[in-house]
Amino acid sequence: MKAVISGIGIISAAGFNLEQNLEALKNGKRNGGPVSAFSTILPYPVFEVNSLPEKCAEEGMRTRSLAFTALNEALDDAGLQAPLSGFRTGVCIGTTVASQLNDISFYTAFRKSGNADLKPVNLFLKGNLAESVACSLNASGPSVTVVNACSSGTDAIGIALSWLKTGLCDIAIAGGADEINRVPLCGFGSLGILSNSLCAPFDKNRSGLNLGEGAGILIIEREDFYIKRCGKPSLYLSGYGSFADAYHLTAPRPDGTGLESAIRKALSDAGVLQADICFVNAHGTGTLDNDKVEGSVLSRVFGNKIKFLSTKGYTGHTLGGAGGIEAVYTAAALKEGWIPSNAGFECKDDNIPITPVTENTDIKGSFALSTSLAFGGNNSAIVIERA
Amino acid sequence: MYISGIGIVFTRGRGIDSFEKALKEGWIEPSRTGSIPAYRVGQETLTDASLTKKMRRADRFSRMAVLSAVDACRDSGINVNERAELGIVLATAFGPHATTFSFIDDILDYGDTNVSPTKFSNSVHNAAASYVSAILENRGPTVTITQFKFAFQNALILAGSWIAEGRCDHVLCGCADELGTVMEYACKMKLNIAKEGKINPFAFSDTPVSVPGEGSVFIMLSKEKGLNNYGKATETSFPRNITGNPDLFVIDADGMSANETGYRDIIDYGSLIAGYSPVFGSMLTGSAFNFAAAALMLKNQIAYNCVFQDNPFGAKLCDETSAKNLNEIYCIKICRPEIKTIIKLQK
Amino acid sequence: MESKEKNLAEIRKLLKELLVENLSLEDIRPEDIKDDEVLFGDGLGLDSLDAVEIVVLLQRNFGLEVKDMKQGREIFYSVDTLARYIYVNKKTT
Repeated sequence: MKAVISGIGIISAAGFNLEQNLEALKNGKRNGGPVSAFSTILPYPVFEVNSLPEKCAEEGMRTRSLAFTALNEALDDAGLQAPLSGFRTGVCIGTTVASQLNDISFYTAFRKSGNADLKPVNLFLKGNLAESVACSLNASGPSVTVVNACSSGTDAIGIALSWLKTGLCDIAIAGGADEINRVPLCGFGSLGILSNSLCAPFDKNRSGLNLGEGAGILIIEREDFYIKRCGKPSLYLSGYGSFADAYHLTAPRPDGTGLESAIRKALSDAGVLQADICFVNAHGTGTLDNDKVEGSVLSRVFGNKIKFLSTKGYTGHTLGGAGGIEAVYTAAALKEGWIPSNAGFECKDDNIPITPVTENTDIKGSFALSTSLAFGGNNSAIVIERA
Repeated sequence: MYISGIGIVFTRGRGIDSFEKALKEGWIEPSRTGSIPAYRVGQETLTDASLTKKMRRADRFSRMAVLSAVDACRDSGINVNERAELGIVLATAFGPHATTFSFIDDILDYGDTNVSPTKFSNSVHNAAASYVSAILENRGPTVTITQFKFAFQNALILAGSWIAEGRCDHVLCGCADELGTVMEYACKMKLNIAKEGKINPFAFSDTPVSVPGEGSVFIMLSKEKGLNNYGKATETSFPRNITGNPDLFVIDADGMSANETGYRDIIDYGSLIAGYSPVFGSMLTGSAFNFAAAALMLKNQIAYNCVFQDNPFGAKLCDETSAKNLNEIYCIKICRPEIKTIIKLQK
Repeated sequence: MESKEKNLAEIRKLLKELLVENLSLEDIRPEDIKDDEVLFGDGLGLDSLDAVEIVVLLQRNFGLEVKDMKQGREIFYSVDTLARYIYVNKKTT
């Protein structure tokens, strides 16, 4: 059984649909800047989505609004319309912020008096991403909100693949979404991994990541089901691999064996060899540790000529959304035949054996890999194929 | 897939033996240390001298998950760190929310620049699973999921997929939820708390009562029959109607949904009915605890007595602990009459 | 000179208590930590997450900001080096 990617949708600081995103990437446009969503004394730039399409904007549910924006574009792209109750539909979406009850004003009131208006709690209970997407689409299959920190989106897509392969559903909605929020901004700041300037993935002088927000959603279908519905597929989701570091709560395993195993598993799951991969959309957050480990693993697995990049210089690190957004970019790049330059990169780091692409680059080939590394030592990778 | 091990942390302690003892003992008074009666997990349950170093940073939520996961492994007799074919799926409704609020305390008390990175790290939903994989030295896929309605059922479905497609030979599949002070407040405001501390699972009421609980359950699920075997989990689905005639229905009624009248339908099937929420408390992830009870009953071929106050619809309840020929048990959770799940277990 | 040594000893004692409490070193007593024991890696076995936690500890308790973690590596070598850094840099109250 093969899994067809029949629709993609995206919203990020680079644009509120796929066309705008690709335009920004092509022109090297980086919309990072100071936080506007809330007031903070933290100096770190972020990648915010400036305007949400009105029909998707719901107050107090920003992550959900972002997810629905990308979802609508993906459904359009796939030629599907809600409700999807006529099909066996599963929903699998990654996030971090939307899974946490973390409303600061609610908690401030509660702390003061032991009483607080429950509106944020009620919104939270309505806002489980997969549950609310499944409900809006009348989806009757499995639904899971993946909370695997920074690999959530990639894992969500991998889980959808498992469901399709084992016949649990015909269509799966998969991806990730996250918002800029004060709690993780303070948290990542305390970990000392936020950069004071725009991030520079894989660069010698990189000084940390920038948080971002957005959503990337894929519509994935069983091939037999899709062919009956639409005809010839143009993209496939061909493989997924995930391995744990079993090492540390926040630091990646220095030898990178967890990531390496995840990549090798994704390749074997897809039935392809290293040489078949024409580019890698790397996690590349811009932190010292991540880029060093990831760079050496990529060179170990693919050799020193591999074309690779991180797109976080255009979107920031969108946490639970990153895997979804980067899968959308990877799929779009395979379709269009080019990848953008690795924004922010200037100087080669002697500790990283390979160099990312530094200009818009044509790609020839059918397979690409997208990787995610997370907090807690999760490493995940997916393989996407152009038909 | 085979059920080859169970680990549990709940209000009356730790381990499948404590759970079995509790099922035999029946109802006990909930603790009344907070703003509502609740089945809380004591601090003494969450310490383990053999894991002190590895758990030093772990918060309550992670400790509950670690201890139940470690126990499920031990119970299964499977030597985990020799194989990468073990997956981990942890499902939760609310995650480590007490730690999130403690981190917000830091923001409010010390400002945005002066907050604890350890608290932040622990407040991320997958911290608990990360401790589990690190302590078990397991490199297989590790996923944390969150759901309000059917967290455990979806975790089981994922575990089943991983085993079916050959990604894993075993999956440690579990749930964890904690009851922090903010959650107590939300429960107090949003639920009908049973003031006398008695959940009434078989009232099938449109205004059910609850006594919130907390804890964690992990189930070791295996492709092949293992050294230890409780039975098989054969199917998890979301059917429109329930079909089949099991020996026993175990129902998740515990006052967490606004309306439990949907459970009235299963009375007509004529099978014996049970439900053990009064033993561990009301939780959105309570299904995992009832699943553990069902697995234990299959293994021991004993049906445990249910605790109840009244039985207004004359359901055929399991009202004594006795040896029974149990071949098939269905675990049922009904949120609204049209939204239901069924987990089928076989001897 | 005598008061400097006394002051340093007090800082070391306080530091050890703060380390045990803030880093949840459950199986270690403050007095078990030696003044010159290596904090990271082989010695006390602290890691990168402890390092950023110590940054917070220094900020909250001594009003000190460690911005450059490269400099931090020397300061964070042992309780003794930390105490000396605090002694020299702490804001007078």
